[in-house]
Amino acid sequence: MTQAEGPGLRRWTRHEYARLIDHGFLDEDDPIELLDGLLLVKEPQHSPHRTAVVLVAKAVERGFGDGWFVQTQSPIILDDRSEPEPDVCVVRGSPRDYVDSHPTRPALIVEVAQSGLRIARGRKAAAYARARIADYWIVNLIDRVLEVHREPVRPGPARRHWGYAAIETLGADATIAPLAAPSADIRVADLLP
Amino acid sequence: MRAMAGYETRTRRFTRAEYERLIDLGVFQPGEAIELIGGELMVAEPQGAPHYTAISKTAKALETVFGPGWVVRSQGPIRLDDDSEPEPDIAVVPGARTIMLARIPRVRSSLSRWPSRASPSTGSARAVSTRGPACRTTELLNLIDRVLEVYREPAPDSASPFGWR
Repeated sequence: MTQAEGPGLRRWTRHEYARLIDHGFLDEDDPIELLDGLLLVKEPQHSPHRTAVVLVAKAVERGFGDGWFVQTQSPIILDDRSEPEPDVCVVRGSPRDYVDSHPTRPALIVEVAQSGLRIARGRKAAAYARARIADYWIVNLIDRVLEVHREPVRPGPARRHWGYAAIETLGADATIAPLAAPSADIRVADLLP
Repeated sequence: MRAMAGYETRTRRFTRAEYERLIDLGVFQPGEAIELIGGELMVAEPQGAPHYTAISKTAKALETVFGPGWVVRSQGPIRLDDDSEPEPDIAVVPGARTIMLARIPRVRSSLSRWPSRASPSTGSARAVSTRGPACRTTELLNLIDRVLEVYREPAPDSASPFGWR
């Protein structure tokens, strides 16, 4: 199903995206993710980016504890035309609960962003808000801060108008508790490379 | 927000060969109006009545002017280069129609596109060939201002989306 949006880039559904992979147009290792129907090329993985991903995964795994698992740079399903691969996300249950299909509603999504900061705050925030992701963090490598996005809302009629009503920027000396793990106390300094 | 250098929103590009394979595999919906422009898969403008009328009137006029030895094609694919296969509203190509059925033409003398809603930037992006002066004349019937824009003599231009204007 392709929505008429006037002239512009052709949007892909998840089903079509799977066919592209099946037919060899996309490789599983290609740095591509499907977000709102667009085949986005992912931010290049520099060492600070990779380091931050590992640090965040470790910190949230400790913070959430049992009953949750952390996956890094792996696909999740948001809707019929979004199958992004967030840097880090926390999912309820155990990995074997998702043998047949990707997780759909992570309790927390974290993106590490340097050159991709604009997309993390724009397109990705809109897509995550639309999927009612309650807790979305951006590890901003440029300013060395954590941007915490909460309260998904839709102030306008268009798909892209979705966004977060509460955005807080935390410095290295702050601590943060995920909404789904309120007793956890994660130091922002532990997330920065 | 501070300006980001380098990496912006980039999407997966397709070559013309990949695009034709996608069509052969039946990946797209039947009747879907898409075209490949500079490696990007674009959704074509929805056609209103004025758009349709303009195409048929223009096709008729061009057929009269060009005469035998030319084919006036309406919204058929043309191969511009390795990553462009647009479907211009009108293309005039040399040769008899029987040959055209067998293959997608590569040579054209005149391209016409009639955007009624497209923004000026869309218009100009589509008016140029993407990889050089493949097309000698491009005409753009501007339904907003009710004028005909004629583009001739393709020239390199670093400020244009594909390096040509």
